[in-house]
Amino acid sequence: MAGQGFQIDLFIKILPELLRGAAITVQLTAFSVAIGTLIGLFAGMARISHYKIFNLPSAFYVEVIRGTPLLVQIMIVYYGLPALGFNLDQYTSGILALSINSGAYIAEIFKAGIKSIKKGQTEASISLGLNYMQTMRYVILPQATRNILPALGNEFIALLKDSSLVSVIAISELLRRGMIVYSRTYDAWTPLLGVALIYLCITIPLSRAVQFIEKRWEIHD
Amino acid sequence: MIKKISMKKKSEKNIISNGGPVIKMVNVTKSFGELVVLRNINVEIKKGEVLVVLGPSGSGKSTLIRCINRLEKIDEGKILLDGKDIYSPDMDVHKLRTRVGMVFQQFNLFPHMKVIDNIMLSPIKVKNIPKDKAKEEAMELLKKVGLEDKFNSFPHELSGGQQQRVAIARALAMNPEVMLFDEVTSALDPELVKGVLETMKELATMGMTMVVVTHEMGFAKEVADRVIFMDEGIIIEENEPKELFENPQNPRTQAFISKIL
Repeated sequence: MAGQGFQIDLFIKILPELLRGAAITVQLTAFSVAIGTLIGLFAGMARISHYKIFNLPSAFYVEVIRGTPLLVQIMIVYYGLPALGFNLDQYTSGILALSINSGAYIAEIFKAGIKSIKKGQTEASISLGLNYMQTMRYVILPQATRNILPALGNEFIALLKDSSLVSVIAISELLRRGMIVYSRTYDAWTPLLGVALIYLCITIPLSRAVQFIEKRWEIHD
Repeated sequence: MIKKISMKKKSEKNIISNGGPVIKMVNVTKSFGELVVLRNINVEIKKGEVLVVLGPSGSGKSTLIRCINRLEKIDEGKILLDGKDIYSPDMDVHKLRTRVGMVFQQFNLFPHMKVIDNIMLSPIKVKNIPKDKAKEEAMELLKKVGLEDKFNSFPHELSGGQQQRVAIARALAMNPEVMLFDEVTSALDPELVKGVLETMKELATMGMTMVVVTHEMGFAKEVADRVIFMDEGIIIEENEPKELFENPQNPRTQAFISKIL
């Protein structure tokens, strides 16, 4: 059956298997974006701090992560950490690498978001006696988060696609499942096009949702 | 009973006359890089006094009041609040700011919070006042500025004048000893200015100590106890409003007043 192009019947047969992979892809991405957002929030705040002990390490982290390939980062975490005595399973390694990676990008998003809030907001808040952390928590971040939701959504989409890279450490996510089908059937077209199709089915509604949020909040300002 | 009341009045008056100035600035100097914005400023503000600060733009008047709650750091000199140096180590800057309320030109309400939450934020988070009590007090303040029906609105649903009155209520919610007003009507459409000035006037008659940077000469004439005129970071002239407007001594003051009246 090899070399006959896309075969619907094979696709239907392998669809449940691919969908199980897609579920893992979405799961990996969701965990990583959640952890990455936490990392990004603090790294972003550190980045705009006036104190060098905060902003220098943060700048270093962001530069290193954004300046090296995600694939290399994944491999360092999975193959490198055990050498230091940390033995993580593939799934944990995958989430760790993806989180650290997205954290750097999200830090830049938070940095821009916080900077987009007018100085008068901070001044009004501290004039009322609120301290820096309270000002961040109650005044600046709620507004900044609203502004950066579209960017965070796009980061989520980007990471969802990039998560296919963890297939190299044998996590049974979407691409890996497609590759397994390929090696079993020697049909490349059907599983790989199927994989691409499923990615699209996830990313298109997501980017529509991001656009929707963007428009809705535009009106309100 | 009568005796008691009269005694109370007397003691109240004692506080006013015996206490030194609420705010005292001594030889205050401040620069932004090369630019000196305040040179050797000496001002005293008594309890219950309304001090209006006049001057052309860039004269340092906004910086002057921003130094009082440490939004700007002074380079030299001293600022005393109730006799105590605001830079002394045991003066907590956050606590200082709850004692000195500030209202800004651009209102600076928090756009993501309803009016009532804008007012309640600091009492709840800084003063740890229980929520229902804070709400009660916030409603009372809203009544005072004539906006109790807007408690559930978001700032962007209000006019500029209404927003500024909410900002005044928000600053009052901390029960400050002094209120600073930084050109609070400059960003308003002309027809909205009156309502804000009325609110400030009312505050003045209630005995609030106020430092007001403004271009509203009518307000200065009617409400101010004293006016200082600043130019290039120096206090050029200081007098009662009537005297300063009708009989300015310094040529620079004369020129400024002839331009704006």
